[in-house]
Amino acid sequence: MTYLLNTLFATLVPMCVTAMVTMAITLIFKTSSTTNFAQGVISAFGAYFVSYFMGEKVGLSIWIAMPIGVIASTLVAVLIDVGIFRRGRYVNAVGKQIITMGLISIIVSVIPMIFGMTQPSINKFVSGNVQFKGALEGLVVTNNALTCVGITVAVLGVIFILLRFSKWGLTVRATASNEYVAGMMGINTHVVTAITWGLAGALGALAATMLASENASISVYFMTNYQVYAFLAGILGGFATFYGPVIAGVAIPLINGLVIWALNMLGLSEYSGWSMVIVYAIALIIIFFKPQGLFGKRIAKKV
Amino acid sequence: MDKLLTNKYGVKGAVQRADAKLTLALRKTVSNPLLHYLIFGVIMCVIGYIAKQNTGVIPYSWESGLARTFAYSIASVGFCLLMGYSGLASLGTGGFIGIGTYAMYYIMGVLDLPFALAVVVAIAIAALVGIIVGFISLRIEGIYLVILTLGLSEILRQIYVAVEDNISISRFRVFIETITTRSVTIYYVMVALIIVMIVTTNLINSPTGRAMLAMKNSTSAAQAMGISLIKYRLLAFVLCTVYAALSGVMYMVTTRSVMASDANGTYALITSLNILAAVIIGGYKSVWGAVFGTFIMYGLQTTLLQQVNFLADNPIIITFFSGILVIVVVMFFPGGVAQLLVELKGLIKKLIKKIREGRYGKDLG
Repeated sequence: MTYLLNTLFATLVPMCVTAMVTMAITLIFKTSSTTNFAQGVISAFGAYFVSYFMGEKVGLSIWIAMPIGVIASTLVAVLIDVGIFRRGRYVNAVGKQIITMGLISIIVSVIPMIFGMTQPSINKFVSGNVQFKGALEGLVVTNNALTCVGITVAVLGVIFILLRFSKWGLTVRATASNEYVAGMMGINTHVVTAITWGLAGALGALAATMLASENASISVYFMTNYQVYAFLAGILGGFATFYGPVIAGVAIPLINGLVIWALNMLGLSEYSGWSMVIVYAIALIIIFFKPQGLFGKRIAKKV
Repeated sequence: MDKLLTNKYGVKGAVQRADAKLTLALRKTVSNPLLHYLIFGVIMCVIGYIAKQNTGVIPYSWESGLARTFAYSIASVGFCLLMGYSGLASLGTGGFIGIGTYAMYYIMGVLDLPFALAVVVAIAIAALVGIIVGFISLRIEGIYLVILTLGLSEILRQIYVAVEDNISISRFRVFIETITTRSVTIYYVMVALIIVMIVTTNLINSPTGRAMLAMKNSTSAAQAMGISLIKYRLLAFVLCTVYAALSGVMYMVTTRSVMASDANGTYALITSLNILAAVIIGGYKSVWGAVFGTFIMYGLQTTLLQQVNFLADNPIIITFFSGILVIVVVMFFPGGVAQLLVELKGLIKKLIKKIREGRYGKDLG
């Protein structure tokens, strides 16, 4: 029992990171109708800024350095939308994907130009573990993980409330539903897409900072795995809604943790490298039976 | 009929006609794309041979650089078929390349069996995987298929990491001859590439290719004409998978070792994206375009640009400009280099016409 809970608590940070990246990817997918492959490297760009401002040269605390990184990623993302996607409005869907792929090459080469060939790291938000007594003794929950959960719930909660109830949320939903018609109804779709790109960049930087604070040293591609999870989460939850992908994004690391636990329980611990394969296989089976995703709606196709 | 004509115009006419026939046959042969492919292959083999002699005429590293580029080209040609002729896009290329490399590793590295068997096994497994994946994933289309194949490629990569992370083969025999590191490997790659190019060209010009093109332009219209969507989509997808596996086999022939867990390596997302970009840059409806685009993405760096000292010291700059190039091509030349050439041809024709008009006056006829 303790072991199961520990396995689940170990997946807290991956859950938060995946949820945030999934939200970012869903926002861009819905307003700009492209899968943003550059999300991972834009996030890493922000994390590099955070680590620079926390490092020996500047030495700020993480709570001041993190907003700087978030602003850097936001600016890059807005610049991408204003400079490239706004002009390439009539590029088809695959073309847009290729553009984001070209952006990977550019950002990946810009980062070493600014920060050099280092692999920096970020200190934890809060150090230490939560103390348990009695029946729960032996549980390991780091304060850092709980802080990450707090940040994620707060940020995503605010975004969902804004999307649902604010005027801005309405414009985003209208643009996501049909950009052209939204424009005719008097919505400034340029501003809407620019804001969603900025928001996606900010979410990415936050996610990257959280991941780096937990364990990873930062490298250019260190968010790529989570980006792939996010794409899978998007298709598993169905891009028709905003909440579907985020729920699936939380579920993927969770199921991964459960699979690792189950493999260990069955005495197959040497096969724990296969856990992600099993998760993907489960996802594929679900997609086979529900091609629109778990929360998707069937779309009638016009001829 | 023949005799009659000979009588009417005399012997001279017959000779003229025979001449015309010969010229026609000659022109047909010269404009035959298959001949172009063969000539291209021979030229590349000669370049590889000269480079391997290490006399300094052509840098030594060109042989392996070109061989690797053309190994990737095989996957690009398959992708060109999938995207340009059936309108599907996939990001599974990196994972499917792994099928080829692992078939090579197990057949030749572990079991020490001949090369031909490895090729056959790689193709068979790839076809099987393609059919299974195709049945699952072709129910959805467009941008979703891209993401699904991306996930699939990631599954394959995880499987490779779990099975055997770092694979390498030291030597292997092709039928009788043993290939060592000093052999010219570009021969094998070029043979495979040319076979693939010829098969693809023939397929594109066959009824199957036309059915695929119809499907790409309008799925509903194609269905109304009695074209089975799933059949042709599956065919294109399976071919793409098989080509990618073959590309993996050839990649293994040239590089000899691959590491699966490398996040920026051969099976990773970046390879699939590079192949996609190569096909877009070259022009996604042209076999030549796919090969040329792959050269831009992979070959340019290992051959020409490495000779410039500044760029050899700062390889990051090449990455930077390749990114900009990709974006510029997608935004301003959606048909890629292949379409650019066609437009250029039209422009030159127009220019010649204008010069003629200036010289002789307007053609009134």
